[in-house]
Amino acid sequence: MNEQRKDILDMLADGKITAEEAEQLIAALQRDQPPAPSRFDARPKGKAKYLRLMVHTVEDGEPGRIDVRVPLQLLRAGVQLAALIPPQALDRANAQLHKSGVPFDLTQLKPEQLEAFVEHLDELTVDIEQPDAQVRVFCE
Amino acid sequence: MPQLLTVRVKRPDGRPIRIWVPVLPVVLVLSPVVVLAVLAAAVACLVYRLSVVRALGTGWRIACALPGTRFDVQYSRTAVLVAIR
Repeated sequence: MNEQRKDILDMLADGKITAEEAEQLIAALQRDQPPAPSRFDARPKGKAKYLRLMVHTVEDGEPGRIDVRVPLQLLRAGVQLAALIPPQALDRANAQLHKSGVPFDLTQLKPEQLEAFVEHLDELTVDIEQPDAQVRVFCE
Repeated sequence: MPQLLTVRVKRPDGRPIRIWVPVLPVVLVLSPVVVLAVLAAAVACLVYRLSVVRALGTGWRIACALPGTRFDVQYSRTAVLVAIR
């Protein structure tokens, strides 16, 4: 029970206000309640549907904002593309990765692993704050 | 399947431009081009020894998953919004 509601009930108990007045005050209190914050940590439990990227920046005193919302279904469908990449392309990409100092073998990356990665994305939260930029990645 | 593509551009003078593109009629109008693109994709799949059915199925799944996508970029007094419904 919040403090204001308790005060109203106390006034009712002390006989300072009538039951009708108390009801009106409580109704007014509920109307004045701020809406639930839209932060990712306040989202109701359930299957996330979207991956959201939000960037707020200030460059040369000018505010900038990027807000991208991508359906997770789109990511799942995109993962299927990995299975369609020709082996020759993977070999060339691997060679370039090795040349750049990234010893990563793309042929070892299976669509099932990527699907599992997307499945667990709804637990992902990235929150980066800097004096002139704020980046937030989350699912909703 | 996407139904409507919305593009909104807000220029520095504050006047917004809004464009609504109904996807299905546009696809129907451009259907000859779409058929050619599908044929080209099928040929590419055969060249690279990929399953044509699987590739087209993946493309269709991606197209069907597009609704809900939204890009909103704003810098200073200029803003661009692209939303797919």
